[in-house]
Amino acid sequence: MKRELLLRHLAAIAVTAFALFPILFVVSSALNPLGTLSSATLFPSGASLGNAADLLTGTAFPTWYLNSVLIAALTAVLSVAVSAVSAYAFSRFRFAGRRTGLVALLVIQAFPQFLAIVPLYVIFSVISDNWPAFGLNSIWGVILLYIGGQVGVNTWLIKGFFDTIPRELDDAMLIDGCTPTQAFRKVVLPLSAPILSISALLVFIGTINEFLIASVFLTGDDARTLAVGLFSMLADQRNANFGMFAVGTLLTAVPTVAVFQFLQRYIVHGLTAGAVKG
Amino acid sequence: MNTGRSAAGAWQGSAGGIAARVLVLGLIVAVALWAVAPLLAADNWTGVAIVAVVTAAGLFVYLTPRRLPVKYLLPTTLLVLAFQVFPVVHTMSLALTNIGDGHLGTKQDAIAAIESSSVKRQPGSAEFRLTVAEKDGDLVFLLASAGRAYTGTAGGLRPLEGATLGAGGRITAAGGYTVLTAAQASARSSEITELIVPVEGGAIRSQGLSRAYRGTATLAYDEGCDCVTGQDGVWRADEEQGRFVSDDGRALAQGWKVGVGLANLTAALTNPKINAHFLGVFGWNLVYATSVVVLTAGLGVAVALVLHHPRMRAVRAYRTLIVLPYAMPAFAMLLVWRDMFNTDFGLINRMFGLDVDWLGAPLTARLSVLLVQLWLGFPYMFLIATGALQTIPPEYLEAAQVDGATAWQRFGKVTLPLLMLALAPLLVSSFAFNFNNFNGIFLVTAGGPFPADNPTVGATDLLITYTFRLAFGQQGAQYGLASAMSIYVYLIVAVLSIIGFRRTRAFQEVGR
Amino acid sequence: MRRPAHALAGALAFGLALTACGAQTPTRGQPSPAPAAVGDATLLIWADQMRSETLKPFAEAFAKENGIKAEVVVVAQNQQQTFTTASQAGKGPDVLVGAHDWIGNLVQNGLIDPIQMTEDQLAGYVDVARKAVTYNGQVYGVPYAVENLALFRNTELAPEAPRSFDELVETGKKLKAAGKVEEIVGYPVSQQDGQSGDTYHLYPLYTSAGAHLFGTTPGGDPDPSDLGVGDRKSVEAFERIAKLGEKGEGALKRSFTSDNSAAAFNEGRTAFMVAGPWRLADARKAGVKYDVTPVPGFKGAEPAQPFVGVQSFFVASKGGNKALAQEFVTGTLASAEVARALFDAEPRMPALEEALTYAAGKDPDVAKFRAAAENGTPLPAIPQMVAIWVPFNTLIHAAVKGEPVPPAVEAAGKAIAEQLKQ
Repeated sequence: MKRELLLRHLAAIAVTAFALFPILFVVSSALNPLGTLSSATLFPSGASLGNAADLLTGTAFPTWYLNSVLIAALTAVLSVAVSAVSAYAFSRFRFAGRRTGLVALLVIQAFPQFLAIVPLYVIFSVISDNWPAFGLNSIWGVILLYIGGQVGVNTWLIKGFFDTIPRELDDAMLIDGCTPTQAFRKVVLPLSAPILSISALLVFIGTINEFLIASVFLTGDDARTLAVGLFSMLADQRNANFGMFAVGTLLTAVPTVAVFQFLQRYIVHGLTAGAVKG
Repeated sequence: MNTGRSAAGAWQGSAGGIAARVLVLGLIVAVALWAVAPLLAADNWTGVAIVAVVTAAGLFVYLTPRRLPVKYLLPTTLLVLAFQVFPVVHTMSLALTNIGDGHLGTKQDAIAAIESSSVKRQPGSAEFRLTVAEKDGDLVFLLASAGRAYTGTAGGLRPLEGATLGAGGRITAAGGYTVLTAAQASARSSEITELIVPVEGGAIRSQGLSRAYRGTATLAYDEGCDCVTGQDGVWRADEEQGRFVSDDGRALAQGWKVGVGLANLTAALTNPKINAHFLGVFGWNLVYATSVVVLTAGLGVAVALVLHHPRMRAVRAYRTLIVLPYAMPAFAMLLVWRDMFNTDFGLINRMFGLDVDWLGAPLTARLSVLLVQLWLGFPYMFLIATGALQTIPPEYLEAAQVDGATAWQRFGKVTLPLLMLALAPLLVSSFAFNFNNFNGIFLVTAGGPFPADNPTVGATDLLITYTFRLAFGQQGAQYGLASAMSIYVYLIVAVLSIIGFRRTRAFQEVGR
Repeated sequence: MRRPAHALAGALAFGLALTACGAQTPTRGQPSPAPAAVGDATLLIWADQMRSETLKPFAEAFAKENGIKAEVVVVAQNQQQTFTTASQAGKGPDVLVGAHDWIGNLVQNGLIDPIQMTEDQLAGYVDVARKAVTYNGQVYGVPYAVENLALFRNTELAPEAPRSFDELVETGKKLKAAGKVEEIVGYPVSQQDGQSGDTYHLYPLYTSAGAHLFGTTPGGDPDPSDLGVGDRKSVEAFERIAKLGEKGEGALKRSFTSDNSAAAFNEGRTAFMVAGPWRLADARKAGVKYDVTPVPGFKGAEPAQPFVGVQSFFVASKGGNKALAQEFVTGTLASAEVARALFDAEPRMPALEEALTYAAGKDPDVAKFRAAAENGTPLPAIPQMVAIWVPFNTLIHAAVKGEPVPPAVEAAGKAIAEQLKQ
């Protein structure tokens, strides 16, 4: 048993090293006072906080940060809520068009995103004219758009897990006189805490790192997100400041890691907690 | 399955259920009213109709006592329709046009652009100081040049008496005319731009709000012959190409968008330049997408299993660290990896003392993009697998253990099937994503390395990057062609996804 | 910008201009719906980060003076594509800040208007800037800055400026043999993606060997019907480039990008670097003792001609406040005051002679870059330039890698010619 645990640790350490070494490289760039990526080594040659200072004082980084966290958090919560509800229908009900609907959700999201930008601009142009609060340069419109882009894959993800929850559990609720909605709320949802947490985390990560849509629809100073702000540091190829960029990249990972830490207990204890409540 | 409850039972529900229903009703109505107001104001009746239909559907679905699955599905459906289905359909409709650089707008746009860009200042001609004024609501140019004052209208240039000239020689006031402020003038910006004062041998046009010049339009559109005429020739409208072409084959730069029927769709199939490399690219594309899925899922599941042990310590720390690659902005890390592969300056060669031309040779370049994608993608699979492992009821494993199953048997017979049940749809969707993983290739190798004798197709090109280069390496961007080709790529992905889906369904029925 | 768009930029471009199909395109003459009411006019200016900060006070002053509003919006990347998309959808700006080589494409898409400046006004600009913004005999932009490549030299390692590129390689090799440097020269052979050659940076050497991309029309624009890639001269040029490459002298290497060349130069790992004025700030920060001279040509060959890029202000055809925009661009933005402010914000050589004198007085490197621009040609603004990038970039890599030159040149020439035909 001891040996097995040792082997497990060795394997885990190897994978962790693989996961970390490019990130270490970014850390060393962040600390490199010259602000170039290519000259950086795995371990920092100097420890200059100049890049961090430049980033925080010379750019609108704090605004980008707030925007990104707000957008990502709202998108994560809302899209998981919407997806969970539809996943429940796909998992528990049998209705005409169910299979078609599932396949359609799968197929539709295979469309390359950079092609879709175009018609989305058309939509946003119309929305801007009528409901400016949700139009161009509004984070609310982009949140809606992200939710629309995420519900398909989330429905898939969550439905897969709902399928693993024994149906007898909610059947028992129905027999007890509950409505399906109540069965959903009281049995299925608590049991799915791990997958809901993971979905939310995945959406959070996907959204905070999203670049293409944000760069087109959020150009105003106040509306920009981290990904767009960071990329603009590299966009000007001639003045690329990798040092600042590296600092920003690392800071971008902070909220994600925080959210992960927060959700970890649900991911781990989801099942037991659900069992107690159920 | 869904016939267990009677309709009446669902309707009677609880007090909470009724309250929720009222809330939903109120919400729908409120949103509908808010949404419809600006549409009414703008006389946008199509918009009003759409809002009305959606609202009616919403009200019907949520007020009916019947238990409809659509109650659960409506929000998703609406979101997907608006933000996913519409863009796809819209893009596809572009494939039937010649839209691209030089053919973006309408014919009117093109004519306007041709005419306005043909206006040439007459060399050596006098410049006027301009004051924009108004008389009886009509726009008038008050022009001053060399101390003389004129009025300029579409009727021509006339001397102006009794004008007051201010500093800089501009007319500041004139009897009978109301001088417009910049803000007032700006509101009539287009009128100002279009007001042309005819004079002998040319016309006076505004340049901004304070200057005017003598200039001649060297090109003019003639509706009679549907052509553009100028000193150097006559350009006739060619409605098939969407541009003005002269008899000797010269075309004006500004064209317009016209329908081309199925030309783009057939060109993608028949043009040897496009389809010559299709099979090679397609093959690598399949290998790439499949390998990425297998590698990321393999490593992700393996790591999840390694950490999934009751007496394993520091699991939280491991998880946090392993998930980091996924937490980092993907585009940034793609760029970082790209630099790490640099032959002379890259971290990989330096750290291991190698001199490998990683991205310069086909095989190593392919391995490199796979490695990068493995790094980026395995934490995702790891997370999903971790979640899935948590939901496997321990009773199942205990039962298996009681039945005398070995650890491997328990894994093979219980854990793996249940894991696959949860993972299968994700594997399919990951395949679909990676099949079109534009950034994963473009930011690392840009499709290269390219053989010296053929700059159009590189060793790591996916269909999507290949399409991209074909559409943009051309003379200007050809969106119509790009859309047509993307439809084919899309169809391929869809077919492969459906096949994959059918295969995994077999799995699911087993698991059930 | 001057090079084919960055990868992501490309991805965006692909998507963006498609929006053109948005049926809401306002036809010329209709004011766009938003700023119709009197006193509500808003002059919308799109600029990159640096320019927007400098231009803001000028825009505000202009707005105040005229009783309108002005807004300067930062469009951080893909300005040209975003501009195209937004303009087609009727959501574009009135004034755009950008590079002169966008002109051809923007004109064919009917998105920018000519700017009628008087002869006197035009005479105030340096020749190359005036030439760059003139397209089809029409001026389409008000230039404010000129940029081009030059040779940076570490004066401690190499006190003398090399008279030819061959001499530069000699010196570099000696220094390398003596262990003083690691690389012969920091010459950005590859674009940032490391996967395709960098036409912009290689062009001086290509022209020094007597080759050309396009001929010239009588009107002074590049002539796409006269393609130089594939002819005898171009083969010779690439033979010479290949001799300097990985299987030859080892001076040119595909591993060099603009960034790591600069890193190598600033850390003293090479004595020479071919770069533009945008690298000055880094070199100064790194404390390298440097000098700037024109990029040297091959020994006994033509002078090396760097591309010259000209940053300009454009008036959007589909903006709602065109008259106001023309006023702002030709009045306020064309002033020496703005040119000086822009120079103070970032040391790029001003296009306006008057501001250039001011800049040269403040910064001796300005005159050096101007000298380096002496042999330069404006980066072609014609839309056909798009056909050059991909094949030519691939060709550069093939030659530097050491692949046989004649078939590679032939393939590139064929690929470009085919695309031009369409």
